[in-house]
Amino acid sequence: MKTPVSVLRLPSGPEPNSRGFDPSSPRFTALCSSSSSDDDDDDEEQQRLRSELRQRFLWTLSLMKHKLVQFDMHERVRMRARFGASDLDVLRLQVSELETPLGVQREALVRSQDVLACSFEL
Amino acid sequence: MILKMSSLVSMAMRQTPLTCSGHTRPVVDLAFSGITPYGYFLISACKDGKPMLRQGDTGDWIGTFLGHKGAVWGATLNKEATKAATAAADFTAKVWDAVTGDEVLTLAHKHIVKSVNFTEDSNCLLTGGNDKVLRIYDLGKPEAEPQEIAGHTSAIKKALWCNNDQQILSAAEDKTIRLWDKNTKEAVKTLSFDASVSSMEYIPDGEILVITYGRTIAFYSAHSLDLIKAVDAPASIHSASLHPEKDFFVAGGDDFKLYKYDYTTKEEMESYKGHFGPIHCVRFSPDGELYASGSEDGTLRLWQTAVGKTYGLWKCVLPEELSSENSEALYCPPAEIKA
Repeated sequence: MKTPVSVLRLPSGPEPNSRGFDPSSPRFTALCSSSSSDDDDDDEEQQRLRSELRQRFLWTLSLMKHKLVQFDMHERVRMRARFGASDLDVLRLQVSELETPLGVQREALVRSQDVLACSFEL
Repeated sequence: MILKMSSLVSMAMRQTPLTCSGHTRPVVDLAFSGITPYGYFLISACKDGKPMLRQGDTGDWIGTFLGHKGAVWGATLNKEATKAATAAADFTAKVWDAVTGDEVLTLAHKHIVKSVNFTEDSNCLLTGGNDKVLRIYDLGKPEAEPQEIAGHTSAIKKALWCNNDQQILSAAEDKTIRLWDKNTKEAVKTLSFDASVSSMEYIPDGEILVITYGRTIAFYSAHSLDLIKAVDAPASIHSASLHPEKDFFVAGGDDFKLYKYDYTTKEEMESYKGHFGPIHCVRFSPDGELYASGSEDGTLRLWQTAVGKTYGLWKCVLPEELSSENSEALYCPPAEIKA
């Protein structure tokens, strides 16, 4: 009976809310030129714009609740449904009375990555 | 006869693969960088559209390249691991800063891009995909039109620089592998197969080409495209990799297992279970101490070449010492024993 090789720990996985590339890592600090104050201003402006866009997106999601929404999917498929909610990572959208080419689905989860566009009347 | 301590340890130990999780869909391609002052790195291409960079010897996640809008079919790193390139189903190839994770360049194509490869000096990028055309981009002049090489009659699966970046090797669904001259853009040689080639690896040191098709792992000279040797595995193979010192090669495919062969004798030495789905890609690290496999099951696994050796996250523990109360005494000296 062979003994399994011991490991110190498992490889670390991705952080849930970050894309990584830690700026404090030795490689990053050595290879990336330090940013000037101009760059810092640009970064701040970018961050401000990003926050604004994100807020608008989240407001849109909350406004969509209970509304009739049209989803544009691949292959020119269009589906209407009553929007319920989105999950935390906006990976899945909970809808009711989803009108699909195969019939009406009373309750459904739509994979957001498959949606090209969605529209609704305010 | 001299038996190395490491061989004795290997005989007593069972391989413990290290599982790298994080991807949510099948891992379809992976590549190692060269050895840099910060170690070596690994990039994985995944159908979830989010290629990841990992520390090569531990599998620790470093970052995720965000930007593609479709499955990523191919990924590569330059030798210094300062640049990454990815090929995706969103009809683009992207070049990334592999230190910051920032997207540097998006190269629009007319169809799904399957393969990307840097030249040794990282100045040019070769792409190939479903539009059947090879493209060479000068990364110093990204707005310039790429040079194009046409000839394949089906989608290109893999395209690699070879022979000091003067020639290009491409494998396509038309069941051919073609060797092209970069300057004349003419096909210098063509290899035809009965089945579609599933993978191709180029070893510059020794000019060897590793090709897999059906259940076969074949080794060719990258200059002449003459066959050196071929081996048939128990199952359909999707990818194989030759050890840098050319003593072993590993292969994986449909039956979820990884096979390790002696390159000289062509004998199967070991097979390892672990993955829960077909293996799509397998590559040796640049120092040959481990190999990485990517699978339909969405994981990357790292496997030791010398099972039981202390390296990366693996720790050598001699069997008698496992029950020892003094755990600080655990070590694995590289001594040789005469038998």
